[in-house]
Amino acid sequence: MKIRNAAVLSLVLFLSLLIASPAAFSAEKEIKIGVLYPLSGALATIGRDLQRAAELTADIINDKAPGVDIPMAQWGGIPSLGGAKIKLIFKDHRGEPDRGADLAKSLILDDKVVGLMGAYNSAVTKTVSAVAERYGIPMINDSSTSPDLTERGFKWFWRTTPHDNYFNRDLFELLKGLTEGKVKGVKAVPKKDLQNLAYACENTEWGSSVAKSIEGYAKEYGFTITKGLLYNANAPDLTSEAKALVAAKPAAMLFAAYLSDSLLMIRTLKGMKAQTKFFWGQDAGFEMADFAKTLGADINGVLTRTVFIDKITRVKKVAGQVNALYKKKYGDDLTGATARSVVGVQAWAYVLNKAASTDPKAIQKACNEINIPANDLVMPWAGVKFDAKGQNVLGRGLIGQYQKTADGKVSLEIVYPFDLATANFIYPFPGWK
Amino acid sequence: MLIADALLQGILMGLLFALVSLGLTVIFGVMDIVNFAHGEFLMLGMYSVYWANLFFHIDPLIALPVSAVVGVLLGLASYYCFIKYLLRGPAIAQLFGTFGLMLFLQYFAMFLFSADYRMIDKGLLVGKSLSVGPFIFDWTKLAAGILSLIAFAVVYYFLHKTKTGKALQATSLNKEAASYMGIRTDRMNAIAWAIGGGTVGMAGGLLVNFYYAYPMVGILFVMIAFACVALGGFGSIKGVFFAGLLVGILEMIFPVFGHLIGSDFLGPHFKFTVVYLAYFIIVVVRPQGLFGWKN
Repeated sequence: MKIRNAAVLSLVLFLSLLIASPAAFSAEKEIKIGVLYPLSGALATIGRDLQRAAELTADIINDKAPGVDIPMAQWGGIPSLGGAKIKLIFKDHRGEPDRGADLAKSLILDDKVVGLMGAYNSAVTKTVSAVAERYGIPMINDSSTSPDLTERGFKWFWRTTPHDNYFNRDLFELLKGLTEGKVKGVKAVPKKDLQNLAYACENTEWGSSVAKSIEGYAKEYGFTITKGLLYNANAPDLTSEAKALVAAKPAAMLFAAYLSDSLLMIRTLKGMKAQTKFFWGQDAGFEMADFAKTLGADINGVLTRTVFIDKITRVKKVAGQVNALYKKKYGDDLTGATARSVVGVQAWAYVLNKAASTDPKAIQKACNEINIPANDLVMPWAGVKFDAKGQNVLGRGLIGQYQKTADGKVSLEIVYPFDLATANFIYPFPGWK
Repeated sequence: MLIADALLQGILMGLLFALVSLGLTVIFGVMDIVNFAHGEFLMLGMYSVYWANLFFHIDPLIALPVSAVVGVLLGLASYYCFIKYLLRGPAIAQLFGTFGLMLFLQYFAMFLFSADYRMIDKGLLVGKSLSVGPFIFDWTKLAAGILSLIAFAVVYYFLHKTKTGKALQATSLNKEAASYMGIRTDRMNAIAWAIGGGTVGMAGGLLVNFYYAYPMVGILFVMIAFACVALGGFGSIKGVFFAGLLVGILEMIFPVFGHLIGSDFLGPHFKFTVVYLAYFIIVVVRPQGLFGWKN
């Protein structure tokens, strides 16, 4: 009897080993990173693009990409982890903070991910990172720009992208540059011509913090905000918002809008023949491929802050190479959002390689010490290096201007920083006839 | 001046809101069913005009009948293939049935058309505006308002002056009595769904002139339609017309007050709070709505 018990026991053990072993072996070869993006709902389009960019980058690292001149493209997996492949597990948070937190928890507990990335919407990043912090799992944020995110004293949160305060300062530097004659192709504009500003920002975490920051910088740089409003990005109608802006007769109109509301806002303003001299959008909707595709020549002269413009490929070779791969596969150029998704996955790869382990503590240490050189990035940044708060201090923003091309389409030209300008600035904003 | 402007803009949007809500109230009146998929009919109406414009280069205004026909067919198909069978079940089944239809149509549209935002960029009126004295009107909104009014008038005439329309009204007042009088309720139900689908499909066709189409667009407008139907009184045609206007005007005029008294607090971000507050107050004070008769 005892022998039979022992035989049954050993059989069970053997069988369980058989079942468990593939997982045990593959764990060595695969590093799971949970990626949270809005893949359905109002932000599904951008979520899809972000997912594509992240997947492409993981493919470059895992399968090598001969045409891309950075060390990472020759790795074929994470070198210090025996060529282990990065496996991205995508989850759709639909732009809902609660859902993001639930998904993060399930990624950590059920999928046993090594780390997290995402979540695009600042409000979702906030809840997701809180979960990561609680479980002591590292999270690298690639594209949420609410400044508060790195002000919470978190130990498990790092952000590669510059945040909105960097970008809003860029805007005011550009305005100041205009009054000082530093902008390519424009003579100095008297300050009084640009004195009055008005903004309309969508009213979630991101838009409200942009609004706050614009107010602050306006004071610092000596401009006046004559009208500032927050609105619901999912509104069925933005006529009253547009009316309020037009009624304030500002020299500059500033926006923080996602895609759908930016389309509606511009169409509505056009319908009112709104006039202003300077028309700027804080990224998101304004810099998406669909924005230019849908509105075409209507946005001639519109400015958008961004972190990546395809013209960058003229000055940065690696950006051009990755962009070519992306375009070949998906038909669009990389944008500021998608290029930052590339850098997010890239940062993960460098961090894992430096940590040479999937232990959270080792990854935490690697994040705090990482220093990715400028030449390895698709971004026009000085590199990736985090400060004590987890913010990358080497990032910088760009401001682009949509300009009409000969074939009636528009292309985005760099107008700020002044030393990178690729075209003459169109001033004042031509408006709509 | 500002107020007059807001009033006019509000009336234009209100007329469109009324047309969006019309079908909902007709179906509810006749069958006591809340059609949750109403917004998805709107969405498909928008897409039909969008595709007609993109592939066949038909001007969005001329393609309007396409959206109405698509709406009518959708309404009829929903009724004959689906709702008819739900009627055999309890009321809760009907409620969840149309909710299921809503989800199905949303995700089916997502599957067919992807989640991209689509906006018409070529059209007779697209992007043009009309200046009348100090007022500037977006031509597409002006056309949407006027055509909504016409469509509303046609449906109103049909319901009140034709024999079929009167039969429909009789059914909505008292189904049993109507069937004793020889009115075929089954046919009346189908007509209600055809009108419901047709009007909201057409509203979609008008809307796509200035609003983007995407699979989830219906929910934004159907929320307003629910408010309009409840405000006007469930099943009341006259009620939904004035409720639509009221919602449109409230939405435009409220932010203007904020502007006039120089308060950013009373800005546009609260405009729909005011709309739904009005809805809430009316429902509490007068549960049957402004013009309703049903309990």
